Formats: sequence, structure tokens, C-alpha cells
Amino acid sequence: MKKVLFAIAFAFFALTGYQAFAQEPELSPERKQAIDSLALEKVRDLSKYIKLIGSKNTPWSEANRVIDRAEELFAPDAEIGVSSLAKKNIEYFKVRPYLERLMRLNYDRVEIDWYKIQYVSDLQRQPDGTYVGVITIFQTFKGYDAEGRLVYQDTTKKDITVYVKRKETQIGGRLIGFWDVLLGDMRVKETTIK
Amino acid sequence: MLKQFKSIIILAMIALVTICGASSCKSSKKLSKKEYKMLVAQATKDLDAILNDETEWTLEEQLERIEEIKKIDFSKKNPEIVEKIELAEIKVSKAIAERDRLAELKRIEEEQRLRELEEQNKPKTGLAELFDLIANATDVNTANKYIREALDLFESPDAVVLIRLNNFGDYDRPTTAVNYLNYLKDQKKVTVGVDNVKFNAENKITELELIKK
Repeated sequence: MKKVLFAIAFAFFALTGYQAFAQEPELSPERKQAIDSLALEKVRDLSKYIKLIGSKNTPWSEANRVIDRAEELFAPDAEIGVSSLAKKNIEYFKVRPYLERLMRLNYDRVEIDWYKIQYVSDLQRQPDGTYVGVITIFQTFKGYDAEGRLVYQDTTKKDITVYVKRKETQIGGRLIGFWDVLLGDMRVKETTIK
Repeated sequence: MLKQFKSIIILAMIALVTICGASSCKSSKKLSKKEYKMLVAQATKDLDAILNDETEWTLEEQLERIEEIKKIDFSKKNPEIVEKIELAEIKVSKAIAERDRLAELKRIEEEQRLRELEEQNKPKTGLAELFDLIANATDVNTANKYIREALDLFESPDAVVLIRLNNFGDYDRPTTAVNYLNYLKDQKKVTVGVDNVKFNAENKITELELIKK
């Protein structure tokens, strides 16, 4: 009896899920390419923001403005992992505290660079129409003291979940369909000396 | 009898010719005192009106009237009219010259205004150039200077900026003028072209649509 009920429930959810899925047609390769690029671009934008926030040359007011812009890239509850060669544990922060901490790092000069920004898991459409994927990045961090000596450096591989959802808004009496890209958790995968 | 009748006819004809001839001579050759007096009064009245700006005639009509008055010789009996003619001529000529100068000035100003309007109506070039200047600025202050310049083209810093991804109706999340210009400063790259611009009555941008290159 349990098996029969399970089969009915499965069939029901599979069918309704399929219907929801079928409501929106598959994106053409050109459109899919456009949103793939858009999500990748948002991560690249974040890399510039992180570099600016971390840099001691960025004026205070500018850094705070950039923090606002960077925060807007993330989903509300997203967390960012922080690792250190000195610690085994990975600490996770909400986005704003992470960015503010980055601005106040106790070095005289900070260099942060991201490279090898690429998909490790392509954007896949979920039943609710959201596209979800994972982009990996490598981050090199260098901290210098007042004498210009390199006092800390590491390279961290991080995975960022990206969510892309189609939304609509009225602008000037026109219905505009846009892709809202939000970054989710940024998880530390490994940290090495380099 | 017939001879007498002929004589009467001839006398009548001579009288008629004499009368007509006299009246014709009166109108073309010499003015009566009364007529001259009327002309003096009219000329004085017209010239005074011209000199005191009390006429609604155009400057050309005034000049025409002065020329008409000049045809009559007032120099012997009314030299004051000749003096007024000279003054009126100078006054009207100066007024015509001033009017023409102002018209020329207005024409130049109008040409300048149209040129400026034309320039304002071509913000695609201006905006694209400013985008490049902001993205390639060597420091924050320079970038901010160009941002302020670019914002002058917009109705408000919050004017809508749309970024079209392709021709299938796909857009990036809508943003505002000030945020997009700061984005260019932060990212130091321009990856879009200006696609469509909407203006308000003051020729300021109310909505900007960009397209991904």
C-alpha cells in the first residue's frame, strides 16, 4: 500500500513539476550563452570590487560605496568563507561584515587578485525556472607591512554558487524582462601557500 | 445768321480751351497758397511723428515718406522743414542700421542655438566618449569629474539605465545613471554601446538603453 501511495505521489509531483517546467520553453543557445556570460561577468565585477575594497589606496568614501555595490551582487543570506594558512577552520561571514572586515585588514598594503574564473557547474534550470550554477575562482592574497615587506600570502580556491532568475518590471510603460543574477555562498575549497 | 453761329461756336471753344488750360497749369506748375500751406502742415506733422517715434509706419515707409516730402522745395519759405527732413533721414537710417545689426545678431545667436541643440541631440557620441573617459581615468578624482559631466546630461542621477544583452528581449538588472557611471569607474571597462536615448522637454536624458557589445 505504501509503495502504491509513494508511486502516486511521485507521479503527481513528477507531472506537476514537469508542467511547471514546461511552462517556460528552453532557452535558445544564444540566449543561454547571454546569461552564462552575464553571471560570469558578475563574478568578474565582484573581483574588481574586492580588489578596490581591500586596497589601502581606495579612499574611505569610495570603499564604502563599493561595498554597497558589491553587497547588491549577493543573495540576502549569502555567506563568504575566509581561510588562513594559520588556521585550520574556515570562518563564514555574511557579505557585509566580510567586506567591511576586508576594508580594515591590518596590513599597510593589500593586493588581491582573482584568476581562472570559470564555470565548474554550468547553469542548470531548476523546476522554479531559476538557473543555478557554480563558478570557481582562484584568489591570491598578499599583505605587506609598513616597510613594504610581504608578510602574508596565500592562494585560495573558492566556489561561488550563482542564481539567475528571469524577472519583469515596468519601465516607462514598457514591460522589461531581465535576468537577475545573484551570487550565493562563496565556499573555500582549498588554501595553499604561493 | 450761320456766320454768327459759327463765331459763337469758335468763341465758346476758345473759352473752353482757356479755362481747361488754366486749371491744368495750376495743378502741375504752381501750388496755390492754400495747397502749399496744407503740404507744410502735413510734412511737419509727418516729420514730427517720425522724429518723436509717434508713427506706426515701418522704417521703410518712413523713409519713403521722407523722400516724398523732399520732392517739394521747402527751403525758401520753410527751412525748418528741410532741417527736420535731414534729422529724420539720419534718425531713420540709424534705426534701419541698428535693426539690421540686431537682426544679424539674432540670426547668429539662432544659428548658435541650433548648433548647440544639434550637439545636444547627439548625446550618443558624447555619452560614449564620457563612458570611455570615466573607464580610463587615471584616478578617482578625474573619473568623478567626468561622472559629474555625464550626469549633467541626465534628468536626474536616478534616470533609468537599461542594459540589453541581445535582441531577444533579455536585459540585465535595470540600474540608474549614477550607479552605472560609477560602475564604469570601478570596473575600468566599457562593454556596451549606446542603443537608445529618451529625452524630456529640457533635452535631458530620462532613459538610457545600452546594448552589450
